[in-house]
Amino acid sequence: MSKSRAHIWFVSPALFLMFVILLLPILVAFGISFTSFSLGNSGAEFVGWKNYEQIFTRSTYEKMFGATFRYVLTVVPLTVALGLGAALLINSLTRFGDLYKTIYFLPVMSALIAMAIVWEFAFHPTIGIINSTLERGCGTFLENWGWYAQGCEKTFPLWLTNRDYAIWTVSFIGVWQGFGFNMVLYLAGLTGIPKELYAAAEMDGAKSGWERFRLITWPMLGPTTVFVVTISFIRSFQVFDMVEAFYPQGGGPSKSVYVMMFAIYEKGIQQNLMGVGAAITVVFLLFVMFLTVMQRWLVERRTHYV
Amino acid sequence: MSDQQPTFRFSTSATIKHAVLILGALIVLLPFYVMVSYSLKSPAEIMQNTGGFFGAQIPFRDDYCVKLGNAIADCMVTPWIYNYTTAFEKAPLVRYLLNGVIVTVSIFFIQVIIALPCAYALAKLKFWGRETVFALVLFCLLIPVHAIALPLYIMLAKLGLTNTYAALIVPWTISVFGIFLMRQFFMTVPDDLIDAARMDGMGEYSIIWNVMLPTAIPALMAFAIFSVVAHWNDYFWPRIVITGNRELFTPPLGLREFKGDADGDNFGPMMATAVIIVTPLLAAFALAQRRFIEGITLSGMK
Repeated sequence: MSKSRAHIWFVSPALFLMFVILLLPILVAFGISFTSFSLGNSGAEFVGWKNYEQIFTRSTYEKMFGATFRYVLTVVPLTVALGLGAALLINSLTRFGDLYKTIYFLPVMSALIAMAIVWEFAFHPTIGIINSTLERGCGTFLENWGWYAQGCEKTFPLWLTNRDYAIWTVSFIGVWQGFGFNMVLYLAGLTGIPKELYAAAEMDGAKSGWERFRLITWPMLGPTTVFVVTISFIRSFQVFDMVEAFYPQGGGPSKSVYVMMFAIYEKGIQQNLMGVGAAITVVFLLFVMFLTVMQRWLVERRTHYV
Repeated sequence: MSDQQPTFRFSTSATIKHAVLILGALIVLLPFYVMVSYSLKSPAEIMQNTGGFFGAQIPFRDDYCVKLGNAIADCMVTPWIYNYTTAFEKAPLVRYLLNGVIVTVSIFFIQVIIALPCAYALAKLKFWGRETVFALVLFCLLIPVHAIALPLYIMLAKLGLTNTYAALIVPWTISVFGIFLMRQFFMTVPDDLIDAARMDGMGEYSIIWNVMLPTAIPALMAFAIFSVVAHWNDYFWPRIVITGNRELFTPPLGLREFKGDADGDNFGPMMATAVIIVTPLLAAFALAQRRFIEGITLSGMK
């Protein structure tokens, strides 16, 4: 008798928390996104689609989507490509592979907020190590490069405060932080490829490394790639720490780094405009869920055929 | 010919590979170099970019100490000692670190207490609605908790829970990922083991903690690392629910506050703080590398 009842005690706490912490907030966000709710004010008016209309018409939010997609579409391909590249190189080495793996994994483990602050120093226009290193290259062959010569003549860019550079600099830090994670996932994927396949391909005439990669490694890594791409998307969509650390007010030069998580934080928490914040939350959730559903669909389609 | 060529080709290509990987490693290590180096140098050395990695360690005058009316001779300080002591004196860093430990450890234990029984029931008990519950777990895996931070914050604010430990911990008490992971693991535990335990008169509850838990230690360790790394480093959530109350700051918040009021003299101490916050995880990583990589990439197991 006790056997048939035990599960209630085992499942219900988790079930309760899932409802209250994960599902209820989605409903709350959805509900509030149609109102002008703010904390501390008792009356919240129903405003219909007005908040959504704002998000899709105002230039601030155009910048928000611009910054978010620029960041995501830079960081995802680069972290995936560099992760795969590093994994392939490390996998083909007989020595020191573990050392590189350890080094590349360090950023994944480190608090991003701390490393962002350090990068800010490194990118500092006058005392930063990056511009002072670049200056050392002045007067050498590097000046043949127009951009470099210009930097020597005037100054090298204000990486984080120039609106032409800011989003790319932030993206660079995102890539720096994230590619080690993908590398490890790819290394795990590579160990799953049977060695015999390569021997067989070689016998069939796939001599060059590129051929072997194209015919065996890449297709065999398919499921890993689907997963790596999805998780990179979801992680990069959530970028916040750096943006808040560099630009506590307003999202960078001309709002060029005004990413979605920061917009939610600014509208909802700083300005107490919960309606707009909730609407951005809903749009954000739709993006992320769409991506994950896509991934599952891709994986399932694969397993049907294989 | 075939004897010679492969060895020759191998060594050149290997050299190129090493060159590429070393270049990558230098870029990856650059901020760590800057962080440690600045945490050792004097303000002047940081400003003028001199002193190499360790700085000259020539004592300099601590102006704040002079302002307090001490003799100049008593206020000469060695840069690295100054940086690290200031890190602890200027802000209650020990308190922050303690908060970090309290929060990460509580989150992990509650996650386990909630997730393990549920995972066990989903894997080994037959009951009405089991498939539905599992489907719900799979659906909840889609939801990144950071994304629903705003409604969670509103709910906590309505309950009057912002600026409490509860606010830092409660949203993370349910780990659907933990449930999913442990369920997959429990599926591999043979039924005979559980049946034998039942024969011995063990209740279901003690089966979980005395039979299932010990077999799940490796998976649990990996999950622990996954959880602790995520919450020790988390900045977004504490930033939202803790406003101004320094007593409750976690290490990332403490560092951020430091940055807020850092002027030229405080770059060294700030970098020292960063080193202190980043080091515990990196040290643990150095000790148990394989487990860490397993734990962090757990989400790749599907």
